Amino acid sequence: MSKPVKNSASSATQRVLSLSNHLKNSLNPADDLQKAAKMATDYKFQGWMGLDKNASKGEMKWQEYEPKTWTEDDVDIKITHCGICGSDLHTLRSGWGPTLYPCCVGHEVAGIAVKVGKNVKHLKVGDRCGVGAQSSSCLDCEECAAGMEQYCPHGNVGTYNGKYPDGSKSYGGYADYCRAPAHFAVKIPDGLSLAEAAPMLCGGVTVWNPLVKNGAGPGKKVGIVGIGGLGHFAVLWAKALGCDEVVAISRTGGKAIDAKKMGADRLIATDEDDKWAKKNSRSLDLIVSTVSSPKMPIAGYLQLLRTNGQFIQVGAPEDVLPAFNVFALIGKGCKLGGSGIGSPADIAEMFEFAVKNNIHPFIQERPMKDANQAVVDMDAGKARYRYVLVNEKHAEEEKARI
Amino acid sequence: MSTDYKFEGWLGKDKQCAQGQMEWGEFEPKTWEEHDVDIKVECCGVCGSDVHTLSSGWEETPYRHEIIGRAVRVGTEVENIKVGDRVGVGAQAGSCLKADCSECSNGLEAYCMGIGSTNTYGSIYPNDMGKSYGGYSTYNRTHSHFVFKIPDGLESADAAPMLCAGATVYSPLKQNGCGPGMKVGIVGVGGLGHFAVLFAKALGADEVVGISRKAGKKGDVLRLGADRYIATDDDKDWATSGARSLDLIISTVSSEDIPLDGYLGLLKVRGTYIQVGLPDGGKLPLVSAFLLIDNAIKIGGSAIGSPGEIEEMLQFAVDKNIKPWVEKRPMEDANQAIVDLQAGKPRYRYVLVNEA
Repeated sequence: MSKPVKNSASSATQRVLSLSNHLKNSLNPADDLQKAAKMATDYKFQGWMGLDKNASKGEMKWQEYEPKTWTEDDVDIKITHCGICGSDLHTLRSGWGPTLYPCCVGHEVAGIAVKVGKNVKHLKVGDRCGVGAQSSSCLDCEECAAGMEQYCPHGNVGTYNGKYPDGSKSYGGYADYCRAPAHFAVKIPDGLSLAEAAPMLCGGVTVWNPLVKNGAGPGKKVGIVGIGGLGHFAVLWAKALGCDEVVAISRTGGKAIDAKKMGADRLIATDEDDKWAKKNSRSLDLIVSTVSSPKMPIAGYLQLLRTNGQFIQVGAPEDVLPAFNVFALIGKGCKLGGSGIGSPADIAEMFEFAVKNNIHPFIQERPMKDANQAVVDMDAGKARYRYVLVNEKHAEEEKARI
Repeated sequence: MSTDYKFEGWLGKDKQCAQGQMEWGEFEPKTWEEHDVDIKVECCGVCGSDVHTLSSGWEETPYRHEIIGRAVRVGTEVENIKVGDRVGVGAQAGSCLKADCSECSNGLEAYCMGIGSTNTYGSIYPNDMGKSYGGYSTYNRTHSHFVFKIPDGLESADAAPMLCAGATVYSPLKQNGCGPGMKVGIVGVGGLGHFAVLFAKALGADEVVGISRKAGKKGDVLRLGADRYIATDDDKDWATSGARSLDLIISTVSSEDIPLDGYLGLLKVRGTYIQVGLPDGGKLPLVSAFLLIDNAIKIGGSAIGSPGEIEEMLQFAVDKNIKPWVEKRPMEDANQAIVDLQAGKPRYRYVLVNEA
């Protein structure tokens, strides 16, 4: 067995050396030659790159980039679909902190595995799979061991704008290909289309998690604040989980009809009735809040909670959470918490639930080549309710394959 | 129907009374109903709420709610108490008790918002039944649902402060699973905080950590049973070195000027911080949403305890031989006692005793 060459060899030389070592030991050199030719990737890593803060205004540029250094724990995904997440915008414009430009965003990445590391057991070439918002963690701590990789305090790397332990950068899914540690690539079950699976990888699981971990189901009345990408998923999940009542909470009544189609029993329009909090006081056991404005009427939301109710914030503000009166919690034994994305196990569980309950998100497909316009439209709040970029060439190839 | 005993006690007539100017006088108790119990007061705990209320930090009123005494008159509808029983009353004297009330029918009387939700002092009873008066007095009258038999094996002066202070920390400790496998932090080591340390230890928490500002209370906190102590004013790195070390924090302090983000950072993933101390105006520092999201932690609140929890706690105290740190004072020294309380002097709870 050949020993891997380390240190000074460039990555290309490494590939050539490992190929020739492989061929030396091969039983069927002709076949292997073909396979080997394919292995040194014949595909390029290129995608929509944000170069500075103006990127979110429709100024991403299609460019090549140097992906994460390959290891046998990784997978290369040929991207067919990528959802547009609010985080993409925050990152393109350095809203949460300075971004490591050039940056390729997109962390609702779905497609086909075209290269799978030797150490990877759960995926093989040709599998339909996807990566969400996280692409690496230490895999060695209490949190990682407990299936809570997203809360790992060491080596937590985002699918884009992150740095792997070896120093290479992470790049996301507004692209042709995506390379990520396979631990974070989740198989997409049959019965779930790639276009629908994509936005579940971040948006879907970010609200799935707090619903499920806080007992959403029969006997519970659940409120969802914000009916956008995340909020619409929350309504779909809450209904399918069997909650006694699902209440959509939005600023205006404009989304009431859609909310009902998603499964909401009613909608509270907070800008349209200044007594909304009083009228609906003590009516909900659990509220998941997907909005993130410093102007959000948090005191009103807390008024909606029943005794021992919980308010879980998943929207991540660029500012602080507004102040609230702690008596709102003390007087009713309530809790206010937060939740972030989901682990690979959470994603897998959610996919299964979606297939079993025949859940279809409200998506709008946009061609990957129109990504700039789609980002601008997303920022203007036009999505009804999640844009999914389609890499048309790859999507066609995948359709032909099946 | 008149009684052969008088209802008299320390009355707070205005905001100045908290400076030690309560006046001894008669008062008109609530109108007698056959579900009530009259109690001859033996002793009464001095609670922080008393001072907040007296100085009208929260609402205007008279007084106290950690009452122990003897039942001297028992209504015909009362089943749980008989004349002569040693009994106690905590912070709550009434709730709607309706079968369709989701709080009252689920052992959450403390959170009832229905008509009849009444504090042991300073509240108006519905249907013109009168006002509620607390325990810095000779006699107290309260609905039997909120009167508890004190188990033998528990001294009156030890039981009194449990009725509010003890219950207020016992409830969130139990509700949030304090026990083996949990590491629990207690912020503030005063009347409530010292009970929290005693109960958390007795409930079997793996580790109990006392958290206060100065190093001065360390000795006491360790003697109370805590495993270690954090002095936030004295140890500059307390927040970073203690990050993600606790499952549950009960905060008994009532200042708005607390290092809340630091406390929250002590929580492990999916940990919970429960505020029981009541800052004036309900103000706490602003909370970082990222701290909540990145660690999936929760901030909660809890108020007193329901009758079911109080009874459970009293029995638990007997079973585990829990001895609170109580300082007895004569009832006639009530004024000085509340002044001393505000000066932070109790170690760790004053109990006023009726010597008569």
